[in-house]
Amino acid sequence: MDNNWWLTLLLASTGTLLMRLLPLLWMQRHLLKQQSKEGLAAIPDWQSVLGPLMIAAMLGVSLVPGTPGIAEWLATALGAMAALMAWLWTKSLGWPVVAGVTLYGLVIVVARMALV
Amino acid sequence: MSLVTDKGAAWLSGVREALPLLGGYIPVAISFGMVAVQAGFSVWQTVLISIFIYAGASQFLFVAMVASGAPWWLVVLMTLLINARHVVYGPSLAPFLPKSRWSPLLCHGLTDQIFALALMRLPKLAVSERIGWYSGAMLLAWFSWIAGTALGAVAGEELTRLWPLLGEIMPFALPALFLVLLAPRFSSVIWCIALGCTIMVAMLLTLYGFTNTAIPLAAVSGALCFYLVRASTRAGGNQSG
Repeated sequence: MDNNWWLTLLLASTGTLLMRLLPLLWMQRHLLKQQSKEGLAAIPDWQSVLGPLMIAAMLGVSLVPGTPGIAEWLATALGAMAALMAWLWTKSLGWPVVAGVTLYGLVIVVARMALV
Repeated sequence: MSLVTDKGAAWLSGVREALPLLGGYIPVAISFGMVAVQAGFSVWQTVLISIFIYAGASQFLFVAMVASGAPWWLVVLMTLLINARHVVYGPSLAPFLPKSRWSPLLCHGLTDQIFALALMRLPKLAVSERIGWYSGAMLLAWFSWIAGTALGAVAGEELTRLWPLLGEIMPFALPALFLVLLAPRFSSVIWCIALGCTIMVAMLLTLYGFTNTAIPLAAVSGALCFYLVRASTRAGGNQSG
C-alpha cells in the first residue's frame, strides 16, 4: 500500500463531511432569510415528504437478510412483528428493538439447531 | 445552573435513545475492522478510516479499492458517490437543528441511522434541548463505530469464532429501529401507499444487488407515488365538487 492512501483518506473524508454539512448550512440560511422576510419560515413540501421516505428506504434495505433463506425471512417477519407489537404496547424506542432482535435471534438459533 | 442540568439531561436522553443503534453498529464495525486488517491495513489505519470517513458501506469499498491498487481519484469518486444520499439529510434536519458553532462536528456524525432517529425525535423536543440531544446520540454512535472497528481489527477473528451467530443476529436492531421510527407515519392512505412502495422498491433493489443505489432510488419512487396519489385525490375531489 503506497503513501497516497493518506491523501485519499483526507479527500474522501472531507468530501463526505462537506456533503453532510453544506446542505444543512444552506437550508438554515435559506430558512432564516425567509423568516426575516415573511415572519415565518415554511418547510418546503418536498422536504417533509422525502425525509420519512428516506427512512422507509433504509428500512427496506435493512430488512433483506445478508444470506436470504426461509429461516432468515421467517425470522425477519417475526422479528418485525415483535418490534411492532412491543411498540404498540410501550410506545418507546428501546424495548421494541430488544423484542425484535430477541425473536429474530431465537428463530435463527432454532433453525440452525434444526439443521445440525 | 438549571440550564446546565437541562442540557445534561437532553444529552443523556440522546445517548439513551441512540442505544438501540449499537446492536446494528458494533457488529458491522467489527466486520469492517476484520476486513480492513485482512486487506493489509494496520490497526491504526483501520481506526483512522472509521474516525474520519465514518460511513459504513463506503468504508468497505474504500479499503477494497485502496488494497487492490485503484487510482486515488477513483477511490475518492466512488466513496463520494456512495455517500451522495447524505446530501438530503441536512436540509431535512435544518428546520429542527439550531445553528451552532459545533455544526461541522455534529454533521460529521450525520449517518443514515442518526438522521432517521433525529428526524423523528428533534421536532418533539424543545429548541433548547435539540443540540444537546443530537450531540449525545451522535457521539455515542460515532464512538461505538470507532470502538467496534478497533475491536474487529484487533480480535475480530477470535470474536466471530466464539460467537458466530452474534454478527448475524444483532444487526436486526437497525430494521427494528427504523420500523418503530416509521410506525406513527402509517396514519393515512397516502402515507401507507408511499411508504409501502418505498419499502418494496428498496427490498427489490437490494435483492437484485443494487444496495448502494437502493436508498435514493426507492425514496424517489415513494415520493412519485405520494405526489401521484395526492394529485389523483385532488382531481377526484375537484370533479365531485
